[in-house]
Amino acid sequence: MITIDEQQKLFLNIARVLNKTITAYAVGGTAMMFLGIKDSTLDIDLVFENEKDKDIFKEAIKSLGYREINAIKVYGARKNQPEMLVLNDERFDLFVVNVIDFVFSGNMQKRAESIHQFGENFILKIADPHDIILMKCATDRLKDKDDARKIINLGKIKWELLVEEAKKQIELGKEKTAFELGYFLEELKNKMKVKIPQEILDELFGIVKKQAEEKQKK
Amino acid sequence: METEVLLKKLEGVQTIDSVTNILKTSKDKAIYYLFRLRKEGYVKTKRLSNNRRVYNISFENKLKGTSYFEIINKYSPVKIATPITYKIYGKTPSLEETLVYAIKTGSLRTILASLALFKKITDWSELYQLSKKNRIERQVGALYDLAKKIMRVRRMTDRFKNNALPKKNHNFEYIISGLMSGDFKDIEETWKIYLPFNKNDLSDYT
Repeated sequence: MITIDEQQKLFLNIARVLNKTITAYAVGGTAMMFLGIKDSTLDIDLVFENEKDKDIFKEAIKSLGYREINAIKVYGARKNQPEMLVLNDERFDLFVVNVIDFVFSGNMQKRAESIHQFGENFILKIADPHDIILMKCATDRLKDKDDARKIINLGKIKWELLVEEAKKQIELGKEKTAFELGYFLEELKNKMKVKIPQEILDELFGIVKKQAEEKQKK
Repeated sequence: METEVLLKKLEGVQTIDSVTNILKTSKDKAIYYLFRLRKEGYVKTKRLSNNRRVYNISFENKLKGTSYFEIINKYSPVKIATPITYKIYGKTPSLEETLVYAIKTGSLRTILASLALFKKITDWSELYQLSKKNRIERQVGALYDLAKKIMRVRRMTDRFKNNALPKKNHNFEYIISGLMSGDFKDIEETWKIYLPFNKNDLSDYT
């Protein structure tokens, strides 16, 4: 577990060893901490815009003592797994644009309006809460549903935005998005009693139905 | 009462009276809640001219760090609410960096407020390097000439001016797309930059 203060010190240390300005997007627990929804996190999920930036960042944290581990332990055989690095009980999950079955799209990047700069060289952009839910749906690890519940319970969710982004993801070639999101939200509704409008679930599964019909036609 | 609930209820600018009203509690209890929030780093306190205390309560305060907007507000008579979060940790941004950031926001009020920074800017070499990197040397020059008309400013070095003045092949550019001045045509001609302000817009400086 890493707290807000520890995380800030860590980012400052990383900024000191970076030799080039690197921008990353915080998409998980880290983003929630910067938005005041969470006090600590197990893993620091970051998305980079390109491989080169990710590699530079990876080398920087390696120089601080982090070591690589196999992502299969956490993500199984899923696609677009992150590179994982650990030190004690802190873990970095480093993604490049694609996060499992989702893509951290241009719209998501634009919505990340909250910016935190550490030293000269590390710029961290905080994903919008809607996009954190989508990323939680993409990773769907042990505590991701609980985190999504916390965000939804703040009561500021524009559900249509989630549906629109799901459609956008499909356009970007991530065909499973509507299904994955619908399934994720349905589970939140049924198992964790989170208030999710039925019409949103219907709309998402309507998209899935259309996709299936179109595939059958082909 | 839990800290999260307190924070949600009190987020924003408060006085002891407003805290008492919002929490529907006694003054002593309100002081205790403020003390708790301050201890956890959520409160910034300011004293008004009549010696009354105003509390800025926000989760962002716990994150510490500074923002370009805080720096602008410190020096400018034109105060701006923070339109977006841009926090900086581990270093204090220079005034030169802050000015360049303000111009790049493309926000009328942020640029207006940042004019006051010309009173304090001394490192013209840094300002030129930063402006050149962001391709806004002429914008900085034009805004400096504008600031000079309404307040006492530090003198721009000849080197900055000579390097930044437009060449023959330069076209007119906007600071804010589509906005041009009716009152400062002379500055616009000198720098080939359209200024987004008229005389009336600068009344806060007079």
